[in-house]
Amino acid sequence: MIRMVATRLALTLPILLGVSIVAFVLMRTLPGDFVQASAGTTAVSEEVLQTARHNLGLDRPLWRQYATWIGGAVTGDLGTSFATHRPVVGEIFPRLAVTGELTLIAGLMAMTLGVATGLASARLRGTTDWVVRGFNSLLLAVPNFVIATLIVLLFGLYFPEVGIFNYVAFATDPRGNLASLLLPGISLALTVSVTISENTRAAVLEVASQDYVMVARAKGLRSSTVLLHYLVRNALTPVITVTGLQLAALLGGSILIETIFTIPGMGQYLFDSISNRDYPAIQAIVLVAATIVLLMNVVVDIAYARVDARVSYE
Amino acid sequence: MPDHGSAASPSSGDLARRSLLRFAVAGPVLGALPAFAQSAPKRGGRLTIGADADPIGLDPTTLAAFSSYDFTALLYSGLLRWNADMKVEPDLATCFEQPNDTTYVFKLRSGVKFHNGQVFDAEDVKYTFDRIRDPATASPNAAIFASIKAVTVIDPLTVRFELTAPNAAFLSYIATNPIGVIVPRGVADLNTKPVGTGPFIFESYQPNQVFTLKANPAYYEQGLPYLGEVAFRFFKDQASLTSALRSKAIDMTWFKDPKVSAQIVRTSPDLVSAPGKTTRTFPVWMNLKSGPLADVRVRRALSLATDRKACLETVLGGSGKVAAMVPESHVGGYDGVGEMPYYKTDIAAAKKLLAEAGHPGGIDLGDYICVAANPLDVACAQILQQQWAEAGIKVAIKPMETAPLITMWVKGEFPTLLSIALSWSPDPDAILSRIISTSASGKALGMADTQLDSMIIDARTLLDRTKRAAAYLDIQRRINDQAYVLDIYQYPLRWEAWWNYAKGYVPLAANIRTFVRTTWIDK
Repeated sequence: MIRMVATRLALTLPILLGVSIVAFVLMRTLPGDFVQASAGTTAVSEEVLQTARHNLGLDRPLWRQYATWIGGAVTGDLGTSFATHRPVVGEIFPRLAVTGELTLIAGLMAMTLGVATGLASARLRGTTDWVVRGFNSLLLAVPNFVIATLIVLLFGLYFPEVGIFNYVAFATDPRGNLASLLLPGISLALTVSVTISENTRAAVLEVASQDYVMVARAKGLRSSTVLLHYLVRNALTPVITVTGLQLAALLGGSILIETIFTIPGMGQYLFDSISNRDYPAIQAIVLVAATIVLLMNVVVDIAYARVDARVSYE
Repeated sequence: MPDHGSAASPSSGDLARRSLLRFAVAGPVLGALPAFAQSAPKRGGRLTIGADADPIGLDPTTLAAFSSYDFTALLYSGLLRWNADMKVEPDLATCFEQPNDTTYVFKLRSGVKFHNGQVFDAEDVKYTFDRIRDPATASPNAAIFASIKAVTVIDPLTVRFELTAPNAAFLSYIATNPIGVIVPRGVADLNTKPVGTGPFIFESYQPNQVFTLKANPAYYEQGLPYLGEVAFRFFKDQASLTSALRSKAIDMTWFKDPKVSAQIVRTSPDLVSAPGKTTRTFPVWMNLKSGPLADVRVRRALSLATDRKACLETVLGGSGKVAAMVPESHVGGYDGVGEMPYYKTDIAAAKKLLAEAGHPGGIDLGDYICVAANPLDVACAQILQQQWAEAGIKVAIKPMETAPLITMWVKGEFPTLLSIALSWSPDPDAILSRIISTSASGKALGMADTQLDSMIIDARTLLDRTKRAAAYLDIQRRINDQAYVLDIYQYPLRWEAWWNYAKGYVPLAANIRTFVRTTWIDK
């Protein structure tokens, strides 16, 4: 087990290096650069633009820019943001915590909702199944940013007394913090819950038709015992895979949700940095996000082994 | 709704030349404010402004982004400033004289201190402008002040500017924040720790979240500012911005779309909205270097096939005017109704011109590139596409991300047509120098009209306002006669809105919030 985790962690290093190169090259091959973008429609002479690029080190060969950056990154220096002129490290970790919290809240909501509706749908069948599946189809068709915008407009225009933009840090006011993440969490969770719900339903139905479940019933076990120990536990493996994969979707979804609800997380930071072509910030965010997704995958693999006795890494 | 007392009066330049101009160094400029503002102002309190963009840098000398103006307007001040009627008035200077066409001598206020306690004097003025003109600084304003030959300190409170040639735009630039604002000499890191002489002092900034300022107790206008604090909160999404204003999470904001602004203001009688003057234009830029648009007949056909009024009605709901190159709020700005060549929609004439140019069956102009992030631009492009189709001119609309679009536009690397609305500029010369054939941007577009070039260069030197206005109208007629740029409509940069408990605020046509210094909160 420990050897497996160590191997998996060691394998993430070359992947991260690859990701950092791709992110670095990709951003720079995109048309438009920070200097020109920040000048906007103001007429600025080419010499001034060149000097500004020189001051940011953008006129050096690409490999040298990369070497400088990765050298810094290894020692924990992710560079200085072009837009704010401040170190990226100081900006990214507090934001990571905010996004992490939002993702966690949304993930828990999606899990609860998804597993509950999936189970209900598979066990109760009939009308419940129809309602759940209809609801799921509808949610699958509506992207999370549409739900978020509708929530913002609904509360902003008709219930202005409900403050929807009152984000406070957890350290300052834990209750206010959780309250402020409730609506963003829901808009992020709804779409993701559909995938979990559908997978739970399918898994439970499949497990239910297995011989060992029929045997368990036939020998007269209580239906709650059958449900918990035979059905849910065995149906959980695919659900965990899906949930793990959906965490990446939640991280991606948070870009727009954070922008709409003005939550100072990584997503909003990425959105702004891309528009501004703030390379150091984009590279840092991509690197950190890739690290998280890779670590999540390792965690999912470990979770398999815990849940499914057939999976063993020894 | 209060009357802002800023009737459509033209912009700067009314200052008589070669005369000693002395202005009362008043405390608050209450005279310029509307009547409602004259009830006793309350001190203290916090004004929260909803901003749609983060600042990109806070050092006025090195920044070019409009999004930073909101912050520099409160942090810094310059020798002159714009008043509510968009006329130039003294600020850090108490008066100035102009001994000849190329020399300006400014007398400075005494006892002014920067936020760090440093005393302001003529050396700071010299330092600021020398720094702008130093190529190593890479100041986007270097070109604007390229006409300065020397800045000389006569005594601590007197400074002389010598220009290489008469420049009618000079005072407008000096009055524009942040282009002409003064920075303290010897202070580094203004981008992260801004230090100015303005009414508010920088307190904190969390990107994408909040930017806070507190009142400058040593501010030189007596009794100002009234507010204790100003906070900017950032909302990148228009729906969020609307909801935030409605729910009073913010006290004041502005919108890019007049229809959104009108809608939100209708939801409560306590919301005030500013009518806004037309300060920017929506042009269709054409690649004149090669291809079908190198032919003036095709360009004229395009202009004749355009129904500018219909675009204005549909996209802006009528809140704007038909445009030529210069918006109405500038000297010589087009009023939207005057005669302009090839402005009257005439499909038959357009088809005839196309046939003469060798395209009897119509023409396909390919991609028409516009800013995806600006729904107004995309909407207008779609209407233009339909209008042009009637004359047999086909285009494919291609909305693009802003950063690469600007690069394409600046370098002239777009196939045929591209639209990007111009931001507010302090002087018509800033707009027109863009199309001088020897300038980088003129070359990029493929301009090659030496007569137009000399008309634009001559207009710069006309210090007489009436003559200058006439010259700019002539220039615009020539541009439209040759159809070098297809201007559609002119409109305000932003539509401002605020709750009526925020009093004493006056929106500027330039959409720079300098009047936050006279604002107070009365909830």
